Amino acid sequence: MAYDFDALLRTIKDKQWSLADIDWDAPGAETMTGELRAKMRPFMADLVWIEHVGARGFASLAKKAPTPVIQEIYRYFHAEEQKHANAELALMKRWGMLDEHGSMPEPNINVKLAIKVLDDYGDTLPLTALATLIPLLECALDGALVKFLLEEVSDPVCHQMFRHINSDESRHITADFEVLELIGAGSATKLLTESVGSLKPQIVLGLIVVFVPLINKMRDNIVAMGLPEKKLYNAVKRFSTIGGRGEFTNRIPAYHVLKAQAAMIVDRSHVYHRLLADPMVKLTRLIPPRLLGKPQSWTEEITHEPVAS
Amino acid sequence: MTLEAFEGEVLRGTEWFGRDFAGQRVAVVAPGREAAQIVPEVAATARAVKVFQEEPAWVVPMPVPGPNVLGIAVARIFLRWQVKDPWIRRLLTPDHRFGSRRTAPGLGYYGALRRPKCQLVTWPVYAFVPHGIRTAEGIEHQADVVVLGAGSLFAKEGLPT
Repeated sequence: MAYDFDALLRTIKDKQWSLADIDWDAPGAETMTGELRAKMRPFMADLVWIEHVGARGFASLAKKAPTPVIQEIYRYFHAEEQKHANAELALMKRWGMLDEHGSMPEPNINVKLAIKVLDDYGDTLPLTALATLIPLLECALDGALVKFLLEEVSDPVCHQMFRHINSDESRHITADFEVLELIGAGSATKLLTESVGSLKPQIVLGLIVVFVPLINKMRDNIVAMGLPEKKLYNAVKRFSTIGGRGEFTNRIPAYHVLKAQAAMIVDRSHVYHRLLADPMVKLTRLIPPRLLGKPQSWTEEITHEPVAS
Repeated sequence: MTLEAFEGEVLRGTEWFGRDFAGQRVAVVAPGREAAQIVPEVAATARAVKVFQEEPAWVVPMPVPGPNVLGIAVARIFLRWQVKDPWIRRLLTPDHRFGSRRTAPGLGYYGALRRPKCQLVTWPVYAFVPHGIRTAEGIEHQADVVVLGAGSLFAKEGLPT
Protein backbone atom coordinates (compact mmCIF):
# COMPACT_ATOMS: atom_id res chain seq x y z
CA MET A 1 0.00 0.00 0.00
CA ALA A 2 1.28 3.47 -0.87
CA TYR A 3 2.63 5.48 2.06
CA ASP A 4 0.35 8.27 3.26
CA PHE A 5 2.51 11.39 2.86
CA ASP A 6 -0.55 13.62 3.47
CA ALA A 7 -0.93 12.13 6.96
CA LEU A 8 2.78 12.64 7.61
CA LEU A 9 2.52 16.29 6.58
CA ARG A 10 -0.42 16.77 8.98
CA THR A 11 1.62 15.22 11.82
CA ILE A 12 4.59 17.46 10.99
CA LYS A 13 2.37 20.54 11.19
CA ASP A 14 0.81 19.36 14.47
CA LYS A 15 4.18 18.67 16.12
CA GLN A 16 5.76 22.07 15.56
CA TRP A 17 7.62 23.59 18.51
CA SER A 18 9.48 26.79 19.12
CA LEU A 19 12.64 27.87 20.92
CA ALA A 20 10.32 30.08 22.95
CA ASP A 21 8.74 26.92 24.45
CA ILE A 22 12.00 26.27 26.30
CA ASP A 23 13.12 28.13 29.43
CA TRP A 24 16.74 28.81 28.50
CA ASP A 25 17.46 30.24 31.96
CA ALA A 26 16.18 27.17 33.87
CA PRO A 27 18.58 25.55 36.36
CA GLY A 28 21.01 22.97 34.97
CA ALA A 29 23.49 25.10 33.04
CA GLU A 30 25.89 24.76 36.00
CA THR A 31 26.29 21.04 35.14
CA MET A 32 28.51 22.17 32.25
CA THR A 33 31.91 22.27 33.93
CA GLY A 34 34.83 24.27 32.57
CA GLU A 35 36.59 21.10 31.45
CA LEU A 36 33.51 19.70 29.70
CA ARG A 37 32.82 23.10 28.12
CA ALA A 38 36.29 23.25 26.55
CA LYS A 39 36.03 19.66 25.36
CA MET A 40 32.56 20.06 23.87
CA ARG A 41 32.79 23.47 22.23
CA PRO A 42 34.25 22.26 18.89
CA PHE A 43 31.87 19.32 18.88
CA MET A 44 28.85 21.58 19.43
CA ALA A 45 30.06 24.02 16.77
CA ASP A 46 30.30 21.15 14.26
CA LEU A 47 26.88 19.88 15.29
CA VAL A 48 25.27 23.29 14.76
CA TRP A 49 26.89 23.61 11.35
CA ILE A 50 25.92 20.09 10.28
CA GLU A 51 22.27 20.82 11.11
CA HIS A 52 22.55 24.11 9.24
CA VAL A 53 24.06 22.42 6.19
CA GLY A 54 21.44 19.65 6.48
CA ALA A 55 18.78 22.35 6.28
CA ARG A 56 20.31 23.57 3.02
CA GLY A 57 20.25 19.97 1.75
CA PHE A 58 16.50 19.79 2.32
CA ALA A 59 16.08 23.10 0.48
CA SER A 60 17.67 21.44 -2.56
CA LEU A 61 15.55 18.32 -2.10
CA ALA A 62 12.42 20.47 -2.11
CA LYS A 63 13.36 21.62 -5.62
CA LYS A 64 13.39 17.97 -6.76
CA ALA A 65 10.46 16.58 -4.78
CA PRO A 66 8.35 14.16 -6.83
CA THR A 67 4.98 15.53 -5.60
CA PRO A 68 3.71 18.84 -4.15
CA VAL A 69 3.00 17.17 -0.77
CA ILE A 70 6.54 15.81 -0.52
CA GLN A 71 7.79 19.23 -1.55
CA GLU A 72 5.87 20.75 1.36
CA ILE A 73 7.27 18.09 3.70
CA TYR A 74 10.81 18.99 2.60
CA ARG A 75 9.98 22.66 3.09
CA TYR A 76 9.12 21.90 6.70
CA PHE A 77 12.22 19.71 7.11
CA HIS A 78 14.37 22.55 5.78
CA ALA A 79 12.87 24.77 8.50
CA GLU A 80 13.13 22.08 11.19
CA GLU A 81 16.83 21.47 10.55
CA GLN A 82 17.30 25.22 10.80
CA LYS A 83 15.37 25.12 14.08
CA HIS A 84 17.70 22.39 15.38
CA ALA A 85 20.72 24.53 14.46
CA ASN A 86 19.13 27.56 16.17
CA ALA A 87 18.29 25.53 19.29
CA GLU A 88 21.77 24.03 19.50
CA LEU A 89 23.28 27.50 19.15
CA ALA A 90 21.00 28.67 21.98
CA LEU A 91 22.31 25.75 24.03
CA MET A 92 25.88 26.84 23.28
CA LYS A 93 24.99 30.31 24.49
CA ARG A 94 23.43 28.88 27.67
CA TRP A 95 26.62 26.95 28.30
CA GLY A 96 28.86 29.99 27.78
CA MET A 97 30.41 28.62 24.59
CA LEU A 98 29.82 31.73 22.44
CA ASP A 99 31.78 34.98 22.45
CA GLU A 100 30.38 38.18 24.00
CA HIS A 101 28.46 39.01 20.79
CA GLY A 102 26.88 35.55 20.66
CA SER A 103 28.37 35.04 17.20
CA MET A 104 28.14 31.77 15.35
CA PRO A 105 31.42 29.80 15.60
CA GLU A 106 33.47 29.46 12.39
CA PRO A 107 32.78 26.23 10.50
CA ASN A 108 35.69 23.82 10.00
CA ILE A 109 37.12 23.44 6.49
CA ASN A 110 35.11 20.26 5.79
CA VAL A 111 31.87 22.04 6.60
CA LYS A 112 32.97 24.99 4.45
CA LEU A 113 33.56 22.59 1.57
CA ALA A 114 30.11 21.07 2.08
CA ILE A 115 28.60 24.59 1.95
CA LYS A 116 30.48 25.35 -1.25
CA VAL A 117 29.36 22.13 -2.97
CA LEU A 118 25.75 22.61 -1.87
CA ASP A 119 25.75 26.21 -3.10
CA ASP A 120 27.28 25.23 -6.44
CA TYR A 121 25.70 21.85 -7.19
CA GLY A 122 22.97 21.17 -4.59
CA ASP A 123 20.09 22.32 -6.78
CA THR A 124 21.34 20.46 -9.86
CA LEU A 125 21.97 17.06 -8.25
CA PRO A 126 19.47 14.44 -9.48
CA LEU A 127 16.75 13.45 -7.01
CA THR A 128 18.00 9.86 -6.64
CA ALA A 129 21.49 11.00 -5.61
CA LEU A 130 20.36 13.69 -3.18
CA ALA A 131 17.49 11.68 -1.71
CA THR A 132 19.92 8.82 -0.96
CA LEU A 133 22.73 10.98 0.40
CA ILE A 134 20.58 12.96 2.85
CA PRO A 135 19.36 9.92 4.87
CA LEU A 136 22.93 8.62 5.13
CA LEU A 137 24.04 11.97 6.51
CA GLU A 138 21.04 12.07 8.83
CA CYS A 139 21.75 8.56 10.16
CA ALA A 140 25.50 9.01 10.43
CA LEU A 141 25.88 12.53 11.68
CA ASP A 142 22.64 13.86 13.06
CA GLY A 143 21.54 10.68 14.84
CA ALA A 144 24.92 9.67 16.20
CA LEU A 145 26.00 13.10 17.37
CA VAL A 146 22.80 13.82 19.20
CA LYS A 147 23.10 10.48 21.00
CA PHE A 148 26.64 11.30 22.10
CA LEU A 149 25.55 14.63 23.42
CA LEU A 150 22.78 13.16 25.57
CA GLU A 151 25.17 10.64 27.06
CA GLU A 152 27.74 13.30 27.91
CA VAL A 153 25.52 16.05 29.30
CA SER A 154 23.07 15.97 32.20
CA ASP A 155 21.57 19.47 31.75
CA PRO A 156 17.75 18.93 31.77
CA VAL A 157 17.23 21.76 29.24
CA CYS A 158 19.48 19.90 26.82
CA HIS A 159 17.43 16.73 27.30
CA GLN A 160 14.14 18.61 26.90
CA MET A 161 15.35 20.16 23.67
CA PHE A 162 16.59 16.89 22.24
CA ARG A 163 13.29 15.16 22.97
CA HIS A 164 11.80 17.59 20.45
CA ILE A 165 14.70 17.19 18.03
CA ASN A 166 14.64 13.38 18.19
CA SER A 167 10.92 13.39 17.54
CA ASP A 168 11.49 15.59 14.44
CA GLU A 169 14.38 13.41 13.29
CA SER A 170 12.33 10.23 13.49
CA ARG A 171 9.87 11.78 11.02
CA HIS A 172 12.75 12.90 8.79
CA ILE A 173 14.14 9.37 8.64
CA THR A 174 10.67 7.93 7.95
CA ALA A 175 10.06 10.37 5.10
CA ASP A 176 13.59 9.97 3.71
CA PHE A 177 13.24 6.22 3.33
CA GLU A 178 9.61 6.32 2.16
CA VAL A 179 10.69 8.71 -0.61
CA LEU A 180 13.44 6.22 -1.53
CA GLU A 181 10.73 3.56 -1.77
CA LEU A 182 8.72 5.83 -4.05
CA ILE A 183 11.73 6.56 -6.25
CA GLY A 184 12.73 2.87 -6.30
CA ALA A 185 9.26 1.89 -7.47
CA GLY A 186 9.64 4.16 -10.53
CA SER A 187 10.70 3.08 -14.00
CA ALA A 188 14.06 1.32 -14.34
CA THR A 189 14.97 3.52 -17.32
CA LYS A 190 14.46 6.69 -15.30
CA LEU A 191 16.50 5.31 -12.40
CA LEU A 192 19.32 4.37 -14.76
CA THR A 193 19.25 7.71 -16.60
CA GLU A 194 19.33 9.69 -13.36
CA SER A 195 22.11 7.49 -11.98
CA VAL A 196 24.25 7.99 -15.06
CA GLY A 197 23.44 11.71 -14.81
CA SER A 198 24.90 11.69 -11.27
CA LEU A 199 28.25 10.48 -12.55
CA LYS A 200 29.43 13.92 -13.62
CA PRO A 201 33.08 14.40 -12.58
CA GLN A 202 32.33 17.52 -10.52
CA ILE A 203 29.63 15.67 -8.55
CA VAL A 204 31.73 12.54 -7.90
CA LEU A 205 34.77 14.64 -7.00
CA GLY A 206 32.61 16.91 -4.85
CA LEU A 207 31.32 13.95 -2.88
CA ILE A 208 34.81 12.49 -2.39
CA VAL A 209 36.32 15.79 -1.28
CA VAL A 210 33.38 16.77 0.92
CA PHE A 211 31.49 13.81 2.21
CA VAL A 212 34.34 11.32 2.78
CA PRO A 213 36.45 13.55 5.05
CA LEU A 214 33.37 15.10 6.72
CA ILE A 215 32.45 11.81 8.40
CA ASN A 216 36.04 10.94 9.32
CA LYS A 217 36.65 14.43 10.68
CA MET A 218 33.61 14.02 12.89
CA ARG A 219 34.93 10.63 14.01
CA ASP A 220 38.21 12.33 14.98
CA ASN A 221 36.29 14.91 17.03
CA ILE A 222 34.35 12.17 18.78
CA VAL A 223 37.51 10.22 19.59
CA ALA A 224 39.13 13.44 20.86
CA MET A 225 36.23 13.73 23.30
CA GLY A 226 37.07 10.27 24.61
CA LEU A 227 34.01 8.59 23.13
CA PRO A 228 34.01 5.23 21.34
CA GLU A 229 33.86 5.61 17.54
CA LYS A 230 31.91 2.34 17.45
CA LYS A 231 28.77 4.34 18.23
CA LEU A 232 29.18 6.41 15.11
CA TYR A 233 29.59 3.22 13.11
CA ASN A 234 26.42 1.76 14.63
CA ALA A 235 24.56 4.87 13.51
CA VAL A 236 25.93 4.51 9.97
CA LYS A 237 24.74 0.88 9.93
CA ARG A 238 21.17 2.14 10.42
CA PHE A 239 21.30 3.43 6.86
CA SER A 240 21.60 -0.06 5.35
CA THR A 241 19.36 -1.64 8.01
CA ILE A 242 16.43 0.71 7.36
CA GLY A 243 17.03 0.79 3.61
CA GLY A 244 17.12 -3.03 3.55
CA ARG A 245 13.61 -3.20 4.96
CA GLY A 246 12.15 -1.44 1.92
CA GLU A 247 10.74 -3.28 -1.05
CA PHE A 248 11.98 -0.95 -3.81
CA THR A 249 14.92 0.97 -2.30
CA ASN A 250 17.23 -1.81 -3.49
CA ARG A 251 16.46 -0.82 -7.09
CA ILE A 252 18.24 2.53 -6.68
CA PRO A 253 21.87 2.36 -7.86
CA ALA A 254 22.88 5.36 -5.69
CA TYR A 255 21.60 3.49 -2.62
CA HIS A 256 23.96 0.59 -3.37
CA VAL A 257 26.91 2.92 -3.89
CA LEU A 258 26.31 4.71 -0.58
CA LYS A 259 25.54 1.43 1.22
CA ALA A 260 28.92 0.11 0.04
CA GLN A 261 30.53 3.30 1.28
CA ALA A 262 28.73 2.97 4.61
CA ALA A 263 30.10 -0.59 4.92
CA MET A 264 33.63 0.73 4.34
CA ILE A 265 33.10 3.53 6.88
CA VAL A 266 32.11 1.12 9.64
CA ASP A 267 35.04 -1.23 8.94
CA ARG A 268 37.95 0.55 10.62
CA SER A 269 40.49 -1.87 9.13
CA HIS A 270 39.34 -1.17 5.56
CA VAL A 271 41.86 0.46 3.22
CA TYR A 272 39.20 3.13 2.59
CA HIS A 273 40.28 4.83 5.81
CA ARG A 274 44.03 4.42 5.32
CA LEU A 275 44.20 5.34 1.64
CA LEU A 276 41.29 7.72 1.12
CA ALA A 277 39.30 9.11 4.04
CA ASP A 278 42.06 9.83 6.58
CA PRO A 279 44.43 11.37 3.98
CA MET A 280 41.48 13.45 2.72
CA VAL A 281 40.97 14.87 6.22
CA LYS A 282 44.64 15.93 6.27
CA LEU A 283 44.58 17.24 2.70
CA THR A 284 41.42 19.30 3.11
CA ARG A 285 42.97 20.89 6.21
CA LEU A 286 45.50 22.49 3.84
CA ILE A 287 42.89 24.19 1.67
CA PRO A 288 42.91 27.98 2.28
CA PRO A 289 39.29 28.93 3.11
CA ARG A 290 39.54 32.10 0.98
CA LEU A 291 39.74 29.86 -2.11
CA LEU A 292 36.15 28.81 -1.48
CA GLY A 293 34.81 32.36 -1.80
CA LYS A 294 31.96 33.88 0.18
CA PRO A 295 29.16 31.46 1.07
CA GLN A 296 25.58 32.34 0.16
CA SER A 297 23.55 34.38 2.64
CA TRP A 298 21.62 31.38 4.02
CA THR A 299 24.67 30.76 6.22
CA GLU A 300 23.80 33.99 8.07
CA GLU A 301 20.21 32.99 8.88
CA ILE A 302 21.08 31.19 12.09
CA THR A 303 20.14 32.75 15.44
CA HIS A 304 20.10 31.79 19.11
CA GLU A 305 17.37 34.31 19.94
CA PRO A 306 13.99 32.58 20.48
CA VAL A 307 12.12 35.83 19.85
CA ALA A 308 12.83 38.31 17.06
CA SER A 309 11.36 41.79 17.41
CA MET B 1 -2.83 28.60 18.12
CA THR B 2 -4.96 30.28 15.51
CA LEU B 3 -5.25 33.87 14.37
CA GLU B 4 -7.54 34.72 17.32
CA ALA B 5 -4.58 34.23 19.66
CA PHE B 6 -2.89 37.32 18.21
CA GLU B 7 -3.58 40.36 20.43
CA GLY B 8 -2.58 43.01 17.88
CA GLU B 9 -4.59 44.31 14.98
CA VAL B 10 -5.36 42.08 11.99
CA LEU B 11 -6.02 43.77 8.65
CA ARG B 12 -7.76 41.91 5.85
CA GLY B 13 -8.72 42.59 2.27
CA THR B 14 -7.61 46.11 1.35
CA GLU B 15 -7.71 47.54 4.89
CA TRP B 16 -3.94 48.07 4.66
CA PHE B 17 -4.31 50.48 1.75
CA GLY B 18 -3.66 54.13 2.57
CA ARG B 19 -2.99 53.27 6.25
CA ASP B 20 -0.27 55.01 8.24
CA PHE B 21 1.82 52.36 10.05
CA ALA B 22 4.21 54.86 11.68
CA GLY B 23 6.02 53.32 14.66
CA GLN B 24 4.50 49.87 14.07
CA ARG B 25 6.04 46.49 13.32
CA VAL B 26 3.98 44.93 10.56
CA ALA B 27 3.85 41.28 9.55
CA VAL B 28 2.53 40.68 6.04
CA VAL B 29 1.29 37.09 5.65
CA ALA B 30 0.44 36.47 2.02
CA PRO B 31 1.36 34.59 -1.14
CA GLY B 32 3.97 36.42 -3.24
CA ARG B 33 1.48 37.73 -5.81
CA GLU B 34 -0.33 39.70 -3.08
CA ALA B 35 2.76 40.57 -1.07
CA ALA B 36 4.11 42.27 -4.22
CA GLN B 37 1.29 44.81 -3.96
CA ILE B 38 0.97 45.08 -0.17
CA VAL B 39 4.63 45.36 0.88
CA PRO B 40 5.70 48.58 -0.95
CA GLU B 41 2.68 50.43 0.46
CA VAL B 42 3.16 49.13 4.02
CA ALA B 43 6.96 49.62 4.01
CA ALA B 44 6.50 53.31 3.12
CA THR B 45 5.33 54.13 6.66
CA ALA B 46 5.98 51.14 8.97
CA ARG B 47 8.84 50.99 11.48
CA ALA B 48 9.65 47.42 10.41
CA VAL B 49 8.07 44.93 8.00
CA LYS B 50 8.39 41.16 7.94
CA VAL B 51 7.07 39.52 4.80
CA PHE B 52 5.90 35.97 5.47
CA GLN B 53 5.78 34.90 1.84
CA GLU B 54 3.70 31.74 1.56
CA GLU B 55 4.52 31.03 -2.07
CA PRO B 56 6.81 32.92 -4.45
CA ALA B 57 5.34 34.54 -7.56
CA TRP B 58 6.68 35.76 -10.87
CA VAL B 59 6.69 39.50 -10.27
CA VAL B 60 6.76 41.89 -13.21
CA PRO B 61 7.20 45.68 -13.05
CA MET B 62 3.98 46.14 -15.06
CA PRO B 63 1.48 43.81 -16.75
CA VAL B 64 3.03 42.04 -19.75
CA PRO B 65 0.67 41.32 -22.63
CA GLY B 66 1.00 38.07 -24.55
CA PRO B 67 1.70 34.51 -23.48
CA ASN B 68 2.79 33.55 -19.92
CA VAL B 69 6.20 32.52 -21.13
CA LEU B 70 6.94 36.11 -22.13
CA GLY B 71 5.77 37.44 -18.77
CA ILE B 72 7.95 34.90 -16.94
CA ALA B 73 10.97 35.90 -19.04
CA VAL B 74 10.40 39.55 -18.08
CA ALA B 75 9.93 38.53 -14.42
CA ARG B 76 13.23 36.62 -14.45
CA ILE B 77 15.11 39.62 -15.82
CA PHE B 78 13.38 41.94 -13.34
CA LEU B 79 14.31 39.66 -10.42
CA ARG B 80 17.95 39.31 -11.48
CA TRP B 81 18.25 43.05 -11.98
CA GLN B 82 16.65 43.98 -8.67
CA VAL B 83 17.91 41.28 -6.32
CA LYS B 84 21.67 40.69 -6.27
CA ASP B 85 21.78 38.14 -3.44
CA PRO B 86 21.52 34.65 -5.07
CA TRP B 87 19.94 33.03 -2.00
CA ILE B 88 17.21 35.70 -1.70
CA ARG B 89 16.64 35.38 -5.45
CA ARG B 90 16.18 31.65 -4.98
CA LEU B 91 13.59 32.28 -2.26
CA LEU B 92 11.72 34.63 -4.59
CA THR B 93 11.69 32.23 -7.56
CA PRO B 94 8.57 30.05 -8.06
CA ASP B 95 9.01 26.28 -8.38
CA HIS B 96 9.33 25.38 -12.06
CA ARG B 97 7.09 22.31 -11.73
CA PHE B 98 4.42 22.97 -9.08
CA GLY B 99 4.63 26.77 -8.78
CA SER B 100 2.30 29.28 -10.39
CA ARG B 101 2.87 30.22 -14.05
CA ARG B 102 0.97 33.48 -13.70
CA THR B 103 2.69 36.81 -13.30
CA ALA B 104 1.84 39.50 -10.75
CA PRO B 105 2.57 43.23 -11.06
CA GLY B 106 4.74 44.66 -8.30
CA LEU B 107 7.05 47.44 -9.45
CA GLY B 108 8.18 48.37 -5.92
CA TYR B 109 8.24 44.89 -4.32
CA TYR B 110 11.93 44.05 -4.62
CA GLY B 111 12.92 47.65 -3.89
CA ALA B 112 10.89 47.49 -0.65
CA LEU B 113 12.46 44.15 0.28
CA ARG B 114 15.92 45.68 -0.11
CA ARG B 115 15.19 48.25 2.61
CA PRO B 116 17.00 47.45 5.89
CA LYS B 117 13.74 47.59 7.84
CA CYS B 118 12.13 44.98 5.61
CA GLN B 119 12.79 41.25 5.95
CA LEU B 120 11.67 38.34 3.79
CA VAL B 121 10.68 35.23 5.76
CA THR B 122 9.87 32.07 3.80
CA TRP B 123 9.73 29.60 6.71
CA PRO B 124 6.24 28.09 7.09
CA VAL B 125 4.01 29.95 9.58
CA TYR B 126 2.57 27.46 12.06
CA ALA B 127 1.00 29.55 14.82
CA PHE B 128 -0.17 32.98 15.86
CA VAL B 129 0.65 33.92 19.47
CA PRO B 130 -0.39 37.01 21.51
CA HIS B 131 2.58 39.10 20.34
CA GLY B 132 3.42 37.70 16.96
CA ILE B 133 3.89 34.76 14.65
CA ARG B 134 5.75 31.50 15.10
CA THR B 135 7.46 29.91 12.16
CA ALA B 136 8.84 26.40 11.68
CA GLU B 137 12.49 27.45 12.08
CA GLY B 138 11.60 27.82 15.78
CA ILE B 139 11.52 31.59 16.10
CA GLU B 140 8.73 33.85 17.35
CA HIS B 141 8.54 37.00 15.21
CA GLN B 142 6.93 39.83 17.14
CA ALA B 143 4.54 42.22 15.42
CA ASP B 144 2.02 44.94 16.27
CA VAL B 145 -0.10 44.48 13.16
CA VAL B 146 -0.73 41.49 10.90
CA VAL B 147 -1.74 42.19 7.30
CA LEU B 148 -3.38 39.07 5.92
CA GLY B 149 -3.51 38.64 2.15
CA ALA B 150 -6.87 37.50 0.77
CA GLY B 151 -5.19 34.42 -0.71
CA SER B 152 -3.31 33.54 2.50
CA LEU B 153 -3.61 30.04 3.96
CA PHE B 154 -4.94 31.75 7.10
CA ALA B 155 -7.42 34.08 5.36
CA LYS B 156 -10.47 31.96 6.18
CA GLU B 157 -9.52 31.51 9.84
CA GLY B 158 -11.28 33.69 12.39
CA LEU B 159 -13.64 35.36 9.92
CA PRO B 160 -16.94 36.50 11.48
CA THR B 161 -19.61 33.86 10.83
